[in-house]
Amino acid sequence: MKQITVGVIGTGRIGTIHAGNLAHMPGVQLKAVADPLVVPSEWEDRGVEALLDPHALIADSDIDAVLVCSPTPTHAELTMAAAETGKHVFCEKPIDLEPKRIRQTLEVVERSGVQLQVGFNRRFDPTFARLRRAVVDGEVGDLHMVKIVARDPAPPPAEYVRDSGGMFLDMTIHDFDMVRFLSGSEVLEVHAFGAVLVDPAIGEAGDVDTAVVTMKLANGGLAVIENSRRAVFGYDQRIEVFGSRGGIEAMNEYPYQVRQRTARGERKANPLYFFLQRYQRSFVAEVETFVDSVRQGRTPPVTGRDGLIPVLIGLAATESMRSHRPVRVESP
Amino acid sequence: MSTVTVGVVGAGRIGRMHASNLVHHVPEARLKAVSSPHIDEGWTRGLGIPVATQDNEAVFRDPEIAAVIIAAPSGRHVELIRRAAEAGKHIWCEKPVAFDPQSITSAIEAARAGGVQLQVGFNRRFDPSIRRLAEAVRQGEVGELNGLRIINRDPKAPPIDFVKRSGGMFFDFTIHDLDTARHLSGRDIEEVYAAGAVLVDPAIGAAGDIDTAIVTLRLQGGALCVIDNSRQTGYGYDQRFEAFGSKGNLVVDNLRPTTVEAFLDGGVFEDTPLPSFIERYQDAFIEELRAFIGCVRDGSPVAVTAEDALAAVRAAGAARTSMLENRPVRLDEETRGGGR
Repeated sequence: MKQITVGVIGTGRIGTIHAGNLAHMPGVQLKAVADPLVVPSEWEDRGVEALLDPHALIADSDIDAVLVCSPTPTHAELTMAAAETGKHVFCEKPIDLEPKRIRQTLEVVERSGVQLQVGFNRRFDPTFARLRRAVVDGEVGDLHMVKIVARDPAPPPAEYVRDSGGMFLDMTIHDFDMVRFLSGSEVLEVHAFGAVLVDPAIGEAGDVDTAVVTMKLANGGLAVIENSRRAVFGYDQRIEVFGSRGGIEAMNEYPYQVRQRTARGERKANPLYFFLQRYQRSFVAEVETFVDSVRQGRTPPVTGRDGLIPVLIGLAATESMRSHRPVRVESP
Repeated sequence: MSTVTVGVVGAGRIGRMHASNLVHHVPEARLKAVSSPHIDEGWTRGLGIPVATQDNEAVFRDPEIAAVIIAAPSGRHVELIRRAAEAGKHIWCEKPVAFDPQSITSAIEAARAGGVQLQVGFNRRFDPSIRRLAEAVRQGEVGELNGLRIINRDPKAPPIDFVKRSGGMFFDFTIHDLDTARHLSGRDIEEVYAAGAVLVDPAIGAAGDIDTAIVTLRLQGGALCVIDNSRQTGYGYDQRFEAFGSKGNLVVDNLRPTTVEAFLDGGVFEDTPLPSFIERYQDAFIEELRAFIGCVRDGSPVAVTAEDALAAVRAAGAARTSMLENRPVRLDEETRGGGR
């Protein structure tokens, strides 16, 4: 197997997870990480160079591919810089909050002839992949509805919310991607109801913490996403696809499978707490797929276009909430 | 306490079911008469109902009868309510009372003028699981209510003749969900957005109706509610409900004929959900009549009023406007003199 040399930019939460996963991947060498806040001792013991400057990592000619896991405002610039030096890029979502900048980034990637995969990890979750197969194989017949419940266990701090681009671009963006992935169709129109029911500070920061987004799809079907920033019982991630031959639903996953019987009632465990636990396998699988695409010279399954469209849907949802009407999604 | 003597007007599928429930499951009631143009005396005799007549007036004029169950075709409900109220009979009326707010208002006025009780057949309010969910919300078990999810899907698309006289899916079918949203939340509906589609049967579309819908409600106080409807599942009657709030989420799942789980080569199978509303809401159909008869006996107010029917019909009207005009519609648009 041809070895692929990789660098990770950004050693925050998600960058550290990807780096850890890469270390165990056969045929992959993690050569360097880069982050202005990097702690060298954490990496050098493992034989990984720890750089402060991401551009130094990008300039390393040994490196075939980089994972861009830095803060969102830097994604586009670093992706372009890496592409221009001929490096394949895995970029965390979203590429940027502005479509213009995403398009510019995709042009540079296209011109450079490198592979780009965007970090919509949930497509690699085995349960959701099973739903997709049910749609593709016709198990549900003609697809009528996609229904997503996505609730976080606890809201982020209000200062995070302020820079996040709003709930639709930060959180719901995964669900927009999931609607496209599962339906194999495009979202034509979006209507969003939003509310501040969890934390007034989120409202003061100009965002919402509760939302219902309805979508009309190009294949004639309907989709609906229910979001909340706080489900006290854990990460609530359920999806149902429903069609002419029936439905298939992905339920929550649990850390252990027990039923406790007490005088108060029967009790199950709470769902897995948050995305790191729930989507653990998908984080490994998406990067494995990326590395494999680089190795085979194949287009990755989550393309730059797949990175752009959910942003357009998120902006339409934001606009719908603001203008209080359904909004057509801008064409990519 | 004495039993309440009852008459049933209408002996179609639903009228017969109510009559049979009264006879078998409501000991506080004595079913004296059933009227219908297509009355089947063999059937009434079998149930031990003394009077079988084609003449509704025979029921309304019978001084012994204190309460009537109206289960005639929907288009006749208001006229029958008026007549029963004039005759001083307490009234239980199958839903929908009518498709337009004015008619329901006139029914409310007629009942008031006659000094009689008027209960409407939103049977789900008496389903043990849904009632438990409503109580949990009321008692703060889910904390502050953030959202409701209502899944209501029929097993099989109705015949086109039915679709044509149904008043449209929002008025015939979604109306239960609109009432359930009010019942579960204890709040009024402020705003509606409805997306509809014809995905089950093109003939339903040709008849001017839809068969698939997602209806989003904004409830008083800010909570959001999502209703999804389909006229055909192919796997039974899909009825699920959730109430989500600051303290957790309560879920009512489908009921199945048995609790068997079959672990087989091709997977682990449970029974499909109960096949139709008749089986799923069997207990609720009995409980709603028991509750009504109880109110007639002790004069206490009925639990589901024509005002509830009015609120649901207004919301259904808003859903229709929303779908046709492709915009969210506030329920106070009419009273504000707004709209387009």
